[in-house]
Amino acid sequence: MSTDSVEELQNGRDAHGIQAIMLADFDLGVTDAFGLRNTLFHSAPPSDEQEALPVPATLLVDRDGTVLWMEISENYQRRSGPEVVLAAIEEHLG
Amino acid sequence: MKAKPGTKLGFIALGLAVAFAFGWFRTNQVVGIPEDRTLFVVGWVAAILFGIAAFVRGTRWFGGIAAVVAIVIGVFLPFTVSISKQDVGAGAIQVGDVLPQFEAIDEFGETFNSASLQGQLVLIKFFRAHW
Repeated sequence: MSTDSVEELQNGRDAHGIQAIMLADFDLGVTDAFGLRNTLFHSAPPSDEQEALPVPATLLVDRDGTVLWMEISENYQRRSGPEVVLAAIEEHLG
Repeated sequence: MKAKPGTKLGFIALGLAVAFAFGWFRTNQVVGIPEDRTLFVVGWVAAILFGIAAFVRGTRWFGGIAAVVAIVIGVFLPFTVSISKQDVGAGAIQVGDVLPQFEAIDEFGETFNSASLQGQLVLIKFFRAHW
């Protein structure tokens, strides 16, 4: 889920070989439904048309739609590596 | 010609600013910036101080340019550190909550409905940057 346009998503898919479903949330409607809009300083390049961005977040959701695990980045300059997500998957799903 | 001891200080300032900026962007590239960024901030503050000292001691024009560039870097990058904190509102989704219903446009321009996720294990990533 990102604020990219559909065209940017397609370019990203081609450039990075992404196999996951990519969704465009350019009006932050989904971000707001999850309550993940950043409420602090909007630090983005002046060329960025977005007036707000989601806080980087990862959610693991069970088959019945229940959130099993989630991680929210308190700082956009620091992100957990994939090993954190893999460990969460292993812990919650065996 | 009168000596300008600040010229050397200007280039020391620039060297410090560039060295710490280089290290910063290298660790940023691998998303490996440490939680404690004090070392970087100290480096940039030192660059600012050397840059100011260059003007105080008197510098040639090229040392002055080096000092100004160092001061700009030394001010800007710590500023980015100071505004990097993120926070969500009180109504943010939490563990144990049920996924909200939503619709969005996928990369093929088609409407995606979250109802299609029912019965599946799902990993959702909210991506702050751009692809």
